[in-house]
Amino acid sequence: MTSERDFIYLDHAAATPLDARVREAMAPYESELFFNPSSPYAPAVAVRRAYEQARADLAHAIGGKPAEVVITAGATESINLAFGSFAGHVVVPEIEHASVLACAAARDHTFVRVNKHGLVSPDDIAAAIRPDTELVSVGLANNEIGTVQPLRAISEVVRAERARRLRDGITIPIVLHTDASQGAGQVNTDTATLGVDLMTLNAAKIYGPKQVGLLWAHRDVRLKPRVLGGGQERGLRSGTENVAGTVGFARALTLAVADRKREVERLAGLRNALQRELCAAFPQAVVSGHKRHRLPGSLHIAFPGIDAERIVFKLEDVGVLVGTGAACAANKDTRSHVLTAIGMPPELADGSLRLTLGHLSTEENTARAARLIIEAVRGEYERMAR
Amino acid sequence: MGTTEETRNLLATARARWEAAAGRTPRVLVGMSGGVDSSVTAALLAEAGFAVTGAYMKNWILDVPGMRCPWADDLADAKRVAVRLDLDFRVYDFQDVYKRAVVDYLVAEYKAGRTPNPDIMCNQDVKFGIFLDAALDDGFDFVATGHYARSTVWETANALMAGAPAAEPTRLLKAADARKDQTFFLYRMQQRALARTLFPLGGLAKTDVRALAEDFGLANARKADSQGICFVGEAGIRDFLSLYVPPAPGAIVDEDTGDVVGYHDGAINFTIGQRKGLGIGGGARYYVCRKDMDANTVYVRDGEPSAHRAEGLVLEDPAWLEGGAPTGGACQVRTHHGEVLCDASLSVGEDALRIDFAHPHDAVAPGQSCVIYRGDECLGGGIVA
Repeated sequence: MTSERDFIYLDHAAATPLDARVREAMAPYESELFFNPSSPYAPAVAVRRAYEQARADLAHAIGGKPAEVVITAGATESINLAFGSFAGHVVVPEIEHASVLACAAARDHTFVRVNKHGLVSPDDIAAAIRPDTELVSVGLANNEIGTVQPLRAISEVVRAERARRLRDGITIPIVLHTDASQGAGQVNTDTATLGVDLMTLNAAKIYGPKQVGLLWAHRDVRLKPRVLGGGQERGLRSGTENVAGTVGFARALTLAVADRKREVERLAGLRNALQRELCAAFPQAVVSGHKRHRLPGSLHIAFPGIDAERIVFKLEDVGVLVGTGAACAANKDTRSHVLTAIGMPPELADGSLRLTLGHLSTEENTARAARLIIEAVRGEYERMAR
Repeated sequence: MGTTEETRNLLATARARWEAAAGRTPRVLVGMSGGVDSSVTAALLAEAGFAVTGAYMKNWILDVPGMRCPWADDLADAKRVAVRLDLDFRVYDFQDVYKRAVVDYLVAEYKAGRTPNPDIMCNQDVKFGIFLDAALDDGFDFVATGHYARSTVWETANALMAGAPAAEPTRLLKAADARKDQTFFLYRMQQRALARTLFPLGGLAKTDVRALAEDFGLANARKADSQGICFVGEAGIRDFLSLYVPPAPGAIVDEDTGDVVGYHDGAINFTIGQRKGLGIGGGARYYVCRKDMDANTVYVRDGEPSAHRAEGLVLEDPAWLEGGAPTGGACQVRTHHGEVLCDASLSVGEDALRIDFAHPHDAVAPGQSCVIYRGDECLGGGIVA
């Protein structure tokens, strides 16, 4: 087994390493500045200020106001807080992350179909909206195939319904939430540009700490707390503040937004080269996700007839870490709902790899990964031919 | 004890002989659990030139809400090893049979106040029952497992391969590593299974196997041995049974005085001879000596369970590896895996067997197995009545 230092990491959608600059920003709050931000003495007040500054930085990075940001322990909690704030019917695409699907399934809901590229149609959203629909939730980018959704157009649909209700004297609210965990740093996450009313973000996907997230909710949206206690976060999320995590999250998001244009170009270049190499070696390979509306670091590729889990094991032996779109062999019956939704046949889904590039990707190691992946897949085709 | 080199030579020679007679490479389906023993089994066979396919048996899945299926990691380990060795790999789903043959049996036996051995049933009905059948259906010549046991399979295999009935039955022999010998768990194998099963590790010591795992570059070389019942684990048996049998409070009664000395949450949770977990304070050293399942009462005695000795055992439901019952007379027995063999004498009756110990033996809980040996050979055994 290659030592961990040498591995080539192609699973940035699953987890990202903590950025050194983020670690540095967090460090003081994990040691000398340990104070409870609610304590009255001066050093604690300084910690409180740093925490609120971090909140302001987070808000600023997404074009929101500090008072609109609730810090949570990650995207799953943010999503639960968003869904828990509405009682009525919800509309979500069927390719959403498990936490969104689970929250939706626990109430009256409509799952909206996607096309073969994983794209949600605003018209389908409009058709799914009922008079009692209160929440539409559409992920900014899909975590498996990388398709980026037309949120702006979807927000127009929600806005139109809201206007219609106002006109008709109906007071049932309707809002648009987006789980933007997977898109931050690669697509625009400005809340006004996207036209959303609520947004979930996750520090762990953008080289920040794990178990830190946020829910941004436009000031007109009333949230209902799910975690009760000491009344932190304006009573919306009790529990002593995670100061170090939040400071790190703010640094990570600020960097992600600032570096986005450059990183998008870099990642797209690497991803396109990787895709070219793999498709040249295996003309039968199938690339999923929308051709243009796709995360620049994302490559979902399926090799017909291959058992992708074997490729994962072969590649880990040569120090390449990749994700797979297929379920583990343990659970053939729980094959990826995303791949099922885009109509991928099971045999193809089982042969799919999710390759996601990021900070750790370089031209050199991506080229090397391409060679090793080709070798591994070729070896499998050869074994099967024996 | 045999050396690793001897094992390698034996496998290569046997494979070559079979190949020469059959005109093709023998196909072996290796039951892989993800542990080091079955991994090395597959590696040794592949190295010796057998056409090896790895197989994971997906057995009973205990659906405990919120718990990650523990077997998923084992399956991944098994598959990882197969990929490392560049072997084909299959998953066989035996959940239904396992549930019936092992889980239901286990629960029924406990309900009846007995102490069953699910590993033995798993071997009889699953590994060397439907798994073997599936292997033969799928065109394999043999199955192999990582058990520490030996057999005379190569002496009988050639006749079998030629389609002729074997001239004599395949015999099950103790492993070279006496401490690891697992024949106790195999005594209920049917002769037809024994004639088709390879135990490549039978001549090796556990330390040899771990060294081989390192040599083969197998990731699980240092993985701990699995313990206890495959699907729940030793510690989980109470929780497991509680899913099937609701807790029922009852009394713990001193067998000698008739006094109630404590209470329990279900007689099903207690085993004859058990000393720990009785929850009785006060200085007495109680052990469970008897259970009344109908009254849900556990009887205890103060003293050493070793004082509770048995001169002999009556066995039911005998199983004989060679098919028929052996002659009575001197033999050796053990009543649990790992026990040093005890001298005894065997009497074979119409329906029941009787074992008379040469020296008094600890009492054995009903439902447990008593396995009978003569010299190196494991003859079979029965279930303590």
